[in-house]
Amino acid sequence: MLVCFDTQAKLFNAETFVLDNGLEVVVVPNRRAPIVKQMLWYKNGSVGEAPGKGGSAHLLEHLMFRGTKKTPGQTFNRLMEENGIESNAFTSLDVTAYHQLLDISRLELAMALEADRMQNLQINKQDFALERDIVFQERKQRIDNNPLAQFGEELRRVLWQGSPYGRPVTGTEEEILNLSPTDVEAYYRQNYIPNRAVLVLSGYLDATVARSLAEKYYGAPDAGKVLSAEQVFPKLKNIRARVDMRLPDVQTPRWLKLFAVSSYGHKPEDVYPLQLLAAYMGGGETSKLYKKLVLRDKKALSVSVDYDPLSQSYGIFSISAVPAAGVRIETLEQALQAAWEESLRELSLDEIQNTKQKMLAGLIYLRDNPEDAAYIIGAMRSAGVPLAEIESQDDKIREVDYHAVRKAAATMMSDAPQVTGILQPEVKDGDAL
Amino acid sequence: MAMRFRGRRRHVLRYWVIVAALLLGSVYFLKSEFPYSEQNKWKNLVEQSTLKNVRFDAKVSEVSGVRSGVSAYLMTDKENPIVSINFLFKNAGYAGDDAREQGIAVMTAVLLGEGAGSYAGSALKEELENRGIRISFAAGKDDFTGSLLTTKENLQKAAEFLNLMLTKPRFEKKDIARVQKQMVNALLRQQENPNQVLALEFNKELFGRHPYAQNPLGKEADILAADDKKLRRFVHRNLITGNLLVGIAGDIDSAEASALLDKMFAGLPRKGSVNFVRPADIDFNGRVRQINRNTGQNVTLKAVRGVARTDADFYPLFVANHILGGAGLTSRLSQKIREEKGLTYGVYTYLQVDDKAPLIVAGFSSTEDKYAEAEKLFVQEWSAFGQNGVSEEELDKAKDYLLASHNLRFASIENVAAMLTAMQKYNLGLDFLQKRNDYIRALTLEEVNRVARKYFVPQMVSARIGTF
Repeated sequence: MLVCFDTQAKLFNAETFVLDNGLEVVVVPNRRAPIVKQMLWYKNGSVGEAPGKGGSAHLLEHLMFRGTKKTPGQTFNRLMEENGIESNAFTSLDVTAYHQLLDISRLELAMALEADRMQNLQINKQDFALERDIVFQERKQRIDNNPLAQFGEELRRVLWQGSPYGRPVTGTEEEILNLSPTDVEAYYRQNYIPNRAVLVLSGYLDATVARSLAEKYYGAPDAGKVLSAEQVFPKLKNIRARVDMRLPDVQTPRWLKLFAVSSYGHKPEDVYPLQLLAAYMGGGETSKLYKKLVLRDKKALSVSVDYDPLSQSYGIFSISAVPAAGVRIETLEQALQAAWEESLRELSLDEIQNTKQKMLAGLIYLRDNPEDAAYIIGAMRSAGVPLAEIESQDDKIREVDYHAVRKAAATMMSDAPQVTGILQPEVKDGDAL
Repeated sequence: MAMRFRGRRRHVLRYWVIVAALLLGSVYFLKSEFPYSEQNKWKNLVEQSTLKNVRFDAKVSEVSGVRSGVSAYLMTDKENPIVSINFLFKNAGYAGDDAREQGIAVMTAVLLGEGAGSYAGSALKEELENRGIRISFAAGKDDFTGSLLTTKENLQKAAEFLNLMLTKPRFEKKDIARVQKQMVNALLRQQENPNQVLALEFNKELFGRHPYAQNPLGKEADILAADDKKLRRFVHRNLITGNLLVGIAGDIDSAEASALLDKMFAGLPRKGSVNFVRPADIDFNGRVRQINRNTGQNVTLKAVRGVARTDADFYPLFVANHILGGAGLTSRLSQKIREEKGLTYGVYTYLQVDDKAPLIVAGFSSTEDKYAEAEKLFVQEWSAFGQNGVSEEELDKAKDYLLASHNLRFASIENVAAMLTAMQKYNLGLDFLQKRNDYIRALTLEEVNRVARKYFVPQMVSARIGTF
């Protein structure tokens, strides 16, 4: 009853080529409507920042909307608006990406503008000061007004043991306030080069048209010197840490455990077994842990397992749970441990077949929306996944032997650096500690 | 991830998302720093582009099930072997919850997915997941909504499952007990985040004794008192073909769609007993509800009276709103408060077109030391807008945005299906997608400024949280 599309079919039917200056271009055709998603991914994020200069990659991302010689002031934003283009950007640990959703008739304009700001950014003092204030406000909004964000930030800081991966992408408040235009310019010159970028064009065009346009608009910038990725790869100790955090606004306890595991950038052969492990254990409400911990034992109100392999260093495997009312955190933790082990014992060929089936059944939806396709391909190419592998995710999932899933679990539990976090309401006066 | 803020869709409820998809737009406040020749150069790039506007028909037709009598708007699209269905039971949203059953609509939406027919426990979810069929329900303020996403291959099976969920829900005791605990826990979690606390308090302040004031998740005592009888009563009274609207998009033709409608909605009663919710009577008298709490930033929400989606003032108001606070970075408010002063990460306004109380909502957040200045600038810009309206140039640019971004709404097949449902809810007609750009082109400066003066009035209702 396996309902999968045939093994010859590619997930996205994408095509790829590389310009003389090293810029990689991926084209994903989708003819539903005459629109295109353009995404330019620089394979550098906050991890590539100089020590003490936390937040410079993100602040630079903001300043990229503040003008070049040819587009002074608000010109870039205004051109986007008057041409009906939805334009935005984001920064993460390993990448910075700029993207637009637009009518096909505006693609050339957007390509010209994106290529222009790859190397012609002009940062004036006044804009710099304003945008620094804005990212400070952004940090306040995203982190300080959200207890769960503070919890997550603290856990990552401990897990990554002082490496750049443990720093907040926004930078700390102190770092933000101390950044100078020179810091940001240094990052810009070093990292915004065509041979460290991937351009994804997803939508109403084919590779022939895309190639001529890419050569026309993105052909000019010269390749730059690429720094070795080894420089930032963290050497983590195999730690077992605990974080017990109490915050005033928290109303109900949370339990969260993070593991630093393999990723697409680091031992990619482990990625698919880990994906299956996460789905088998805690992917949705038919997963093993949900059935045991929530439905049967009634110790938790929710439990889920996630795995993010899109990293140039370690991937993050996480287990999270909310205890049922009246269930102590220690009790939840024991029940979770027991449920995990029970699930491992039950892990069989049939069970993993069933998990694979669920993962494969939803794959086809990924190519529906050109925005999703551009995001997935850009993120995976930036993490170093070959296009052929992106296209054959279904085969990669099918190929996993169930023994490999069991082995991935055992290796993770014994060898992966791991942090257990407990977030609870603040102790009130009179409560026993 | 550190996504830049684009404001307007942050606090927004489901319907607004649909309406935004119908008429998504943005515009900027022109400054005169830009050399004319450069401007022309970029403009030429569009005019000389080898990729021209492609005519895109987006043909919508109406289909009906012969036996069920249920009709739907259909857009056939064969790009991928996928079908998306969106449906909406009018006036069956949570505002219609009986006074002592607050939360029943939301609870029904969750429990319909828990078990149906002979599928007990997790069996139904297993069946759906194994086939990649995604079915979900939600209760908004006004309506009870649902969606189905499936491959073409599993379409018939998906329709059978949906029918089973709508007509033979199990509502088992153990599932009800679990969902009750999850909902009560969700009520607690709402109190952790200042933005959610503010949104709840803002609704109470705005709507007072009107049902819109209630917590979308309901009331703890009512949630705990719910049982299968009450859930079944809700289903029989509300999930009826007499108030059902359906949108179908994807790899399916009209004959298939007609048959599918019968399959999905067979056995639903035509009539029920939907609770009538009165229009909200809000006194916009300038009052401010203040919540003192130690937060990272102060946050505020404000509102004035808006217009219904079907109102003649809707289009001019939509454009006016975009110029003031809907356009993202280039809106007047963003330019003044964010771009020129760095006082906030986001300031925005949007039209909230709920059936019983259409509003224009505004909001921003700023640290304690900068809040007062941001507030002052907000009031200045808002008042100036209400007094003087917009310029011809601003209006032209707004129209440019709305016309050029028209096709972006077709990116996702699920959005298309939801749009087809919204077109029926708001009586926009089968040819809305062909006519919509003409509505935009026809707007005059006079109309836009008439509504700017009429709706952007100084007397608002506000709520704010933080340290003041």
